[in-house]
Amino acid sequence: MKTNDLILQTITKVIVFLILLFSVDIFFAGHYTPGGGFVGGLMTSAALVLLLIAYDIKTVANLFPVNYIYVAATGLLIALVTGISSILRHKPFLTHAFNKHVHLPLFGETSLHTAALFDLGVYLVVVGVTMTIIQSIGEDK
Amino acid sequence: MAFQLLLNVFLAFVWMFLKGSTEADTFIIGYIIGLLLIFLTRRFFTGRFYLYRIVSILKLLFIFIKELILANYAVFKSIIRPNAKLTPGIFAMKTVLTADWQITILSNLITLTPGTLVVDISEDNSTLYIHAMDISNKEATIEAIQNSFEKAILEVSK
Repeated sequence: MKTNDLILQTITKVIVFLILLFSVDIFFAGHYTPGGGFVGGLMTSAALVLLLIAYDIKTVANLFPVNYIYVAATGLLIALVTGISSILRHKPFLTHAFNKHVHLPLFGETSLHTAALFDLGVYLVVVGVTMTIIQSIGEDK
Repeated sequence: MAFQLLLNVFLAFVWMFLKGSTEADTFIIGYIIGLLLIFLTRRFFTGRFYLYRIVSILKLLFIFIKELILANYAVFKSIIRPNAKLTPGIFAMKTVLTADWQITILSNLITLTPGTLVVDISEDNSTLYIHAMDISNKEATIEAIQNSFEKAILEVSK
């Protein structure tokens, strides 16, 4: 018997945006406040899992036509490049560079740090691995 | 509705540029002037003047808050009664609403009313299956409550 998932799907359409926004906020909060790449990645995966629950695997694959293994690989590559770039500046591997006083338009006084790039790598690895695991378990032939 | 709201915000921004200030109160004054202009030219737009719809959304919100308080009070009364004479059951209710968000809001409102809970929706989205805590003499009052909900939701989407 097929049930009608109308309420779940309508609520999902609204809630997914809030979860994704929250995950972006948590990702950028990681330097001074609780948060970071790992939790942000899990939160993004949670939004995608909610879509998977409300709809089905084919619909979500049409929404985000990416291979999640490649996403994880890209994340590893970004983290590795961040580490290697410090060797090019004659510093030990994974030494982070930062600039404390950068004036960006709209953001004002911001401190840019390469740890954010490393965090982006972590984020992509977490999203890729989580979604790969869930899709491999979920697919029934 | 959405177009009129965007036009109003745009007019408020134009007012800010004319005044050469970025203060919040300038924006608010520009917004009020824009509202007045849209009200004067309301016949040019396809929908109705958007303040009416905002008022009906607020009405729906107040109905929701009132029902929430009443529902919890009713459940409280039936919990502290020593020997409850409840006859639970499930009945079907036809709905005139068609859009997804309308049916979702109606279902959530019904779930929050005293003693009723939406269990399922039929395949063609025309019938709601509702579980009632006390089905004996409540049918008429429940139908009345839902008619008020449906009216309020239709008022919003007019």
